[in-house]
Formats: sequence, C-alpha cells, structure tokens
Amino acid sequence: MERAHTSVTRTPLTSVVVQRRSKSRSYRLSYRSCLGAASRLGLTPALTARRLNTSRKAPRSHNIKEKVTPEHLALLVKTEWQLFYVTPLYQFRHTQLKSYARQLSAFIAAERQQGLAVEVGGPQNSFKVSLSVVQGMTEADADAETVLIQIHSKPLFASQDEPKKSVWSGLLTCINGNPEYLQSLPKDFTCLPLFGSRGVENLSSLVKSWFQRTFDCSFAPLEISHTSLQWFAALWTNCHTESDIQHLKMLWTLPVVPPLQVTYTVNPHDAWELWSSVRNPSQKKGDGAEEADCIDFEEVMRFMQGLKSHFYRHFRLDLSAGALDQVSTALGSAKSSGKIKMSSSRYVTAILTLLTECALLKMPI
Amino acid sequence: MAATLSPSDLDQSSQSGHSVSSRSSNRSLRVAEKERRKNEAEDPFVLALKYFSDVEAGTPVIGNDELDRNLVLVEKVAYSRGLSPEAISVMLEFAMSLRMGSSPCVRVLKCLIPATVVPQEAVVRAVVWLSVGKIPISTQVLFIKWVLTVFDMIDAKDQLRSIYGFIFSFVTEENLCPFICHLLYLLTRKESVRVFRVRKLLELQSKLGRQPFLLHLLSLYKVFCPELVTLSIPSRMRSGFKNHISPWKSALIAVQKRNGLQVAPSVGLTVKEKTGSRKRKHCQLELPALSSVVNKEAQAERSSSRRVVPLVHIHSFPQLLENIHRIELPAQMGSLLGSSLALQYLDCVQEESALLRLNFWLGCALHEEFLCSDGGAVQNSEEALQFLKDLLAAQHFLQEGFSSSDTFLYKFLNIWDGSLLRPQVLGLLSNIPVVPSSQMGRLLFEPLTQIFFTSSLFFKCGLMESLNNMLLKWLTWHSVYALEDDLDISLNSHTSINITLSGFKDSVMELVHFVGRLASVGLQLEGCHSLLLSFVLDFYETVCDTFLKFGLPLVVMPPPGVFYPALLATDPASVDRLAYIMHRYKVNLTSAKSQEKLTEQAFHISRQTFREFNHYVVVMVNCLWNSKMFQPGVDVQLGEELLLRSKVPQHWCRFDLIHHPAFMNYAVDFHQRCWPDRKDMDLSSIKHSKPWSWYLEYLFTQGFDGLRDFVQSNISRQVIAGDGQGDSQPR
Repeated sequence: MERAHTSVTRTPLTSVVVQRRSKSRSYRLSYRSCLGAASRLGLTPALTARRLNTSRKAPRSHNIKEKVTPEHLALLVKTEWQLFYVTPLYQFRHTQLKSYARQLSAFIAAERQQGLAVEVGGPQNSFKVSLSVVQGMTEADADAETVLIQIHSKPLFASQDEPKKSVWSGLLTCINGNPEYLQSLPKDFTCLPLFGSRGVENLSSLVKSWFQRTFDCSFAPLEISHTSLQWFAALWTNCHTESDIQHLKMLWTLPVVPPLQVTYTVNPHDAWELWSSVRNPSQKKGDGAEEADCIDFEEVMRFMQGLKSHFYRHFRLDLSAGALDQVSTALGSAKSSGKIKMSSSRYVTAILTLLTECALLKMPI
Repeated sequence: MAATLSPSDLDQSSQSGHSVSSRSSNRSLRVAEKERRKNEAEDPFVLALKYFSDVEAGTPVIGNDELDRNLVLVEKVAYSRGLSPEAISVMLEFAMSLRMGSSPCVRVLKCLIPATVVPQEAVVRAVVWLSVGKIPISTQVLFIKWVLTVFDMIDAKDQLRSIYGFIFSFVTEENLCPFICHLLYLLTRKESVRVFRVRKLLELQSKLGRQPFLLHLLSLYKVFCPELVTLSIPSRMRSGFKNHISPWKSALIAVQKRNGLQVAPSVGLTVKEKTGSRKRKHCQLELPALSSVVNKEAQAERSSSRRVVPLVHIHSFPQLLENIHRIELPAQMGSLLGSSLALQYLDCVQEESALLRLNFWLGCALHEEFLCSDGGAVQNSEEALQFLKDLLAAQHFLQEGFSSSDTFLYKFLNIWDGSLLRPQVLGLLSNIPVVPSSQMGRLLFEPLTQIFFTSSLFFKCGLMESLNNMLLKWLTWHSVYALEDDLDISLNSHTSINITLSGFKDSVMELVHFVGRLASVGLQLEGCHSLLLSFVLDFYETVCDTFLKFGLPLVVMPPPGVFYPALLATDPASVDRLAYIMHRYKVNLTSAKSQEKLTEQAFHISRQTFREFNHYVVVMVNCLWNSKMFQPGVDVQLGEELLLRSKVPQHWCRFDLIHHPAFMNYAVDFHQRCWPDRKDMDLSSIKHSKPWSWYLEYLFTQGFDGLRDFVQSNISRQVIAGDGQGDSQPR
C-alpha cells in the first residue's frame, strides 16, 4: 500500500493524459492539477514549499563588462529601479521587438488621448519607444534574454540633432532562474520574472497594461523581504576585499509609539572583520576555491546577530524586535518597498540573481 | 386642406415625419373610399406600381393627380400590410432615380415599410443612385437611415459587402458620415479592414475631432486588425451608435405585428458596456475585457492553414457551435471568466498553455488581493465579493476548480479569520480537487482545525457543509472517471488505475477520518447542538453510500463521538437519520460483500469495518429495542454505583424507543390513543408484543422512515412476533 502510494505522486501521468484527453479532458486535468501538477510544475508552492535558497555563491566581481556593452551597463546602474514580478509572458518573441515597440508606442499614444484612434506604426509625435535585448546578461542556459524598454520624449520644437530625453525605462530580466521551474513551462511561455521600472508612474502603468494585454501576463509589486535584505547586507560586505563598500548602512524600524527609526552605519572594516569572524571555518579553510565561495544562510544570521548585539551593547535596544527596511553600501542599496540601486556594475549579476529568485518565489503556480 | 397640399410643402415637412404620415393616412382613407366606389376590375395597387415603374422622367409633379392618387394608394398598403419585395424595388428605384424630381422622393422613402424582406439588389441599386443623381443631402441621409432601419430585413448582404469600398467613399461627406459609419460597422468583415481605410478614418478624425461614430467603426477595425490601429474608448463614449428614432420604426413594428412576423432584432448595435469606472489604482480584481490577439505573426504557421475566428466575434451559442473548431483564444485568458459564452468554450479548451495562462492570471490576482500585507480585499470587500462570486460561478459551471485558486486557498487558509467572505471561501474550499493523502494534513487539516475550533457554531456548520460538498465532488469525479476506465480499460495499463484508485481511497479515507475527528470534538464543544449534528449527519449520509452510489469500495464508519450524540439526541430527527445511515451502511456492506464473493476482486472492506458496524448495530438494537442500555461491552459504560446513585429507576430501558428522550413524547401520545380511558400512564405496557408492534406502526406513520428501514433490515420478523427480545445482525 505504502509503496503503491508513493508511486502515485511520482508517476507522471502525461502519457495517460495524452491518450485519453479526447474523452475525459476535464477530469484528467483536474486530476493532474492535484497530483500531476506537483511533478510537472515541480515548484507548485503549496505542494512543495518553495524557499529562498539557504546557500548561495558569493558574488565575485564579474566579467560582465566584457559581455555587456558599456551603454547597456550604464543604463542598468546608478539609478534606482522599482521592482515588480511578472508571470511568464505568453507568445513573447525576442525577434519581434521592433514590432512590439511600434505597438507599444501606438498604445501609449492612444491611451494618453482617450477617444482618439491611433495608427499602429504611424509616426507618434510625443514618445519614441524602443525595446532591445541586452546581450550577454544571461547566466544560465534556461534564462531568457534580458529586455530593455526605453521611452524617449520628443520635444515638439526640438532641433533635429538634439538628443532625445529618456523619460522612462524598464527592464525585464531573468538571471540564474531556477532551471527546474523554467524548464517546466511550455514552450509558448517566456519567463522574465523580474521587472524593474524607473520614470513616470503613469508610463509604468501604461507599459504594464500593454504587456498584460499583449502577453497575458500579470504584474505585481515585488517587495524585498527582511531575509533578502539580510542577504544583501552579507553579500555586499563579503565584497569588501574586492571593492571598498565604504559603509554598511541599515535602516531599522522599531514598532514603538511613536515609531522609531534607527539608522545604523557600520565602518566597512569593522563589518568585514565581523563577517570574516562568523564565516564557517570549514568553508574558509576549504582547499577548492569553489567551496569558499558559498555563503550559508546560517552565516548571514550570525552576521546579523553580531551586528544586533553590538548595537544592543551600546544602546540597549534590541533590533530583532524591529524590521530591516533598507540596506545600503557603496555597491548599492535595497529597500523593503521594492527599490534597488546597483551602484557598481561589477555585482549586477549577483544582485539580479537574488532578485530573480525572489520574483520566482512569488509566481502563483 | 389635405387635398391642396402641394409637393413643396411636403418636402418641407419632411423633417417632422409624424405629422405627414398622420395627415397622409387621413387622406389616404378618404381616397381609398373613393377608390372602392370606383370598384375597378383590376387591382389598383398593381396599377399604381405599374405607374411608378413606367412613369417617364420629367413628368411634372405639381398638379399631377394621378401621381397623388397612386402614391396614396401605395402608402395605404404600406402602412397597413407593408410592401412586398417587388413593390419595395419599384418604389425605391422610382424615388432614388429622381424621375419626377426630388420632391416625391422623401414621401416614397417614408412609406417603404417592408412586409417581409428587402431585396438586396434594390438597396445596391439605390446606393449606386446616391452617387449618380443629385439627391439633396437630407434625402440621402434619410435613405441611409432607412437602410439602417431595415438592415436586418435585407435578404442577403454579400453584394452590399462587395461594394464596401464604394459605400466607404461616402464617409468624406460630412453629413452622411455618421450614418455611413454605422452602415459600414454593420457590413465590416476582416477583409474589409485595410490600411488605407484606417488612414482615411484617422484623417477624418483629425478633421472632425473625437466623434463617437468614427471611434466605434475604428474600434471594430481594431477588433479585426489590432496590428493596424489602436485606441481606447473613454467611458462616456461607450454607448455605441446612436439609435436614430427613425420615421419607420413604429410603422414597421405595427406591420410586423399584424403580419405575425417576429419583430426584427433591434438595429442599434451597441458596443458592450464595460464595468463601471474604477477609482482604485491597481486593478487586480478586474476581469480583463475580451480582445483579440495582436501578434499573429507568431502563430502564423498555425493560422495559415485555417481561418480563425476571434472569440470576440462570437455573439451567440449557435455561432459558437458553428465555429468551435477554429476559434482563436483571446489575448487575455482571464477575460473568459467574464462571459457565459466564453465559459462554454473554455470547457472545450484543450490547450495546456491556455489553461496555464488563465491560472497565472487568476493566481496572481488572488495573491495580490488576499495575501498581500496591505489587505486589499478587506478594504474592497465589495469588489472582492464580486470577483469571488464570478470565480465560483465559473467553477460551478465547469464543475471543477482552477489549480491556481486551490494553491491560493492552501495559503489563504493559514491567515483566514474564518469570517471574511465566508460563504465564498467555503465555496472555493469545496471545489478543491483530490489532494494526495500525504499532503492533506499540512495543506488542509492543520489550518482548518485551527479555524474550526476557534470559530462560532455557524462556521462549524458551514465548514461541515463545505467538506461534505468536497467529498461529494471527489466521489462524483471518481464515479465518472472509474466508469470511463471500465469502458476503455484496454487502453490503459491496469497498474496505473489500481494505483490511482488506492491513492484516491487513501485521500477519501483521510478526509472522512478528519471530518470524524472535527465532528466529535465540535459536537462536544457545542453541547451536541442539533444544528451541527444535522450537518454532521449530512456528511455521513454521503459517507455511508460511497460504495453503492459512487462505486468506491470503501466504507468508513463514524467515530463514537458522532454515533452516540446522534443516538442519544433529544430530537427524534437525528435518531431517525442515524437509523437511516446505519441502514444504508448495511445495504452497502452486504452488497460489497456479495460482489466480492461474485467477482473475487482484489478489494475488500476490512474486517475491522464490519466489526465496528456490527458493534454499532448491536448497541443500537440493544438500546432502542432490547432495553439493555449500559451493559458491559457497550462504549458508554457507567459504574454500577453511579447508576444506583442516580436513582433512575430501570436505567437500562431509559433509551428504548419508548423512554428515549426523543420519542417519549410519541410514546405518551400513543399511550393516550391506545388506552384513552386509563387514568394512570404506564408506558411500560407498550412493551408487550401487540401494543409494541402497534407502537412501531404508529412511529412509522409519523415519518420515521429511517427507523423503519433500520428495523426492517436489522431485526427479523420472528423477533417482532416474539417478545421483542434478541436481534439479528448481518454476517
């Protein structure tokens, strides 16, 4: 009985489904959705609880500069992105970006002047939309190419050679996405789970709504959880030997009346000292460089605990009662409200990997 | 006065159509009388038509009595019976060709009331005349309005569609434009949408501004060719084309009524109104509107082989059936939930990615609204309620849940307070499909247990009902599925069926046991509340029939925590229902046993189940029948001392059918009827064999059918004939 049972959940029913679909599609589907789906869409959150990775590679100053053009890199860094997660895009083709740009610009024009029809592909006189692939961003094979959306305004009386002003940009990306999840999706879907936008709110919602209508996807704000923020603090501190983090600044909110905000800035050397003291000795000593790269969540927790107890010793205030709202170093900043700033292009991949993971965790199925 | 009405007057008064028609009908009456007096041999109407078809161009109008007489005749026929297709052809040709100038033209157009259909050729010819003749612009407008009014009565539209381009050329005429746009709207097919037409309309738009008629035509173009044009219609313009109060409408309806024809469907084609404007910024809970796919290049290889019909174009069920093999799914799958027609189609959608799209959207909407920290649903309970209602209606229609709403629910149950949108959430809960038994504890039982024990009686009842529905759906699903397996068993490897069946049995068993635990403790907590007991017994009415009703070889007995509260309940209905349930258990068990012997199939009901059942039957019979309560071996045991201390006389018979608190009242009533003269009541006297069987009969006539079934199936006849002692059991 027990043996028979375990094979129920494991046996892929697909062969049976195909055979008999014509007859009992509906029941088969519902059958699959409760048993088969667990194996097919391996990460159905309810059935197999998905968690944030408890161990990840330490970010290394990446050779991203060799792979990605400096123009693209310049667009990614130095400014703050507002983050969203996106469900997989249906029938999205990287080869169609030009046509998408035309449609999107017509859509924006039509939405902005309600009640006026707009020819798709006709000359738009207010905005110029362009979509482009950021070559060289992908890390794993399953990752879809990153797409950059830019909207430039066209001033009415601008001279021909005057540079167009960028009013909005957006980023759809997937870096080191969970390959199991990505491969479980049918071919029609392109998974670019992380969407970052910067610029006018109004344009953000127009772009989102065009994507929703065109690729049948949904957008929702992506908040950076307490745990992820702690990860950021540790990951950035870990980079200190490679590039100076200058400071480790954390913003805590404590639930007292009136609410108390604590800005906790740590000297980079002290932070690094603390960090190296909490690293697992076994891994630190590890012969292979590969092993030494891995950071465990335990270490992160110890690091945070160290920071908190230090604070307690001085101010008699236990930060673990509060919530971490913001972490920033010279390498970047992350806010719990879902804002990220990557100040150095060297660690773009590491940051986006963590955020991709957060976004994939939010997928409804 | 009417007789001297000059044609020029007529032309002027064409703006106020009603007065003319009333006057002319007045006059037509008088002329008609004159006509009848003349008593002509030939049909005057035919003659009149002949006049109009033969009359030479340039015949004077003023002072032409013949014209007047014939026109009156035609009008009379038109307003009473309507004109035949031939008559329409003749009159339309006469009017539009302006053979007698433009003055009679208006009058003729106004009386063109078709009796049956309008011949397409006539309309096409008339449209051609539009460009040839020098018809005044107001008359041209009148003509197009007439076409719009009778559009549904035109016998065919193919030729009209083939001159689409010709009709389109009139849009530049400023006064005609609104009506031409409406006509084009009615005639547009996918192939008529061309870039140059789009550009022309856009050019007009830049000249005329935002005109609803242009916008509606363009929005139809967008439906067919979203890659050419895009627009967003502001809410105030969404009402569709203006429904002109045309001069023909009332007359047309009157004629159609008289002819017993069905009234033509309303002409004004309205653009479907979207749900009211929303104030909220993030609109996760809005069903997207149906719209067609823009980027067809991607699927070109598929659509090239066959012409596809976007779901937006389907407006009726027959249309759906006609096109079911080539329907194109909408751009956003979520939009299917909004229309019942689309739901019909969703039921046949086989594409995996389509269902996945739907689930992504639904899951995201539910997550954002109910699981996010800002508690959108709490603030917008009105919308959340509507959304869940729509979702439930869709699930109800499809008779299955969506996997994303299930996964959502597994999470939501952990944070649910048990009162927010209770009926809807419980409804969703009952739609959850079979869950593997290993997962049930974590996904369902843990959160449900917590809410169950901390909520009110009504929640407990609601949850019981919902779990009962869930079980019913699982069993129904199984019975359909199992039936199919029997049908094409050759197609499948036996193993997979057996495995799935045992897994399914495990899940059902888990669920039943779980409800048993909930019910036992719940009844205790609520002091065996009869309302809760009733919901619990509902559940066991489903459970006791799993084998016979649903073909599932599984019988699970209720726990003592349910059995005894029902047996010792103070309301007779509960005892009766328990008796019925026990009776059904017996029927199921015996038939399972005989089938087992017959087919020697691998399944068997465990001996433990039979033992439990027999035990319960013995207890029931002993308690209700044999007056042997509190005997050793019964689950309810009280110390002898305690019983003595309670000073209840003859405590062993306190729960028989006579003294049972639920039936005492019947026993007293029976006693009074049986021995009306007796002063002192001795209920024990019913125990004697004769009055006992009478008493049973009496109880059965009171509607205790369950009790009757139980007695008949579990207590043999001789026993009744005997002293009411002993019992018989199955096996």
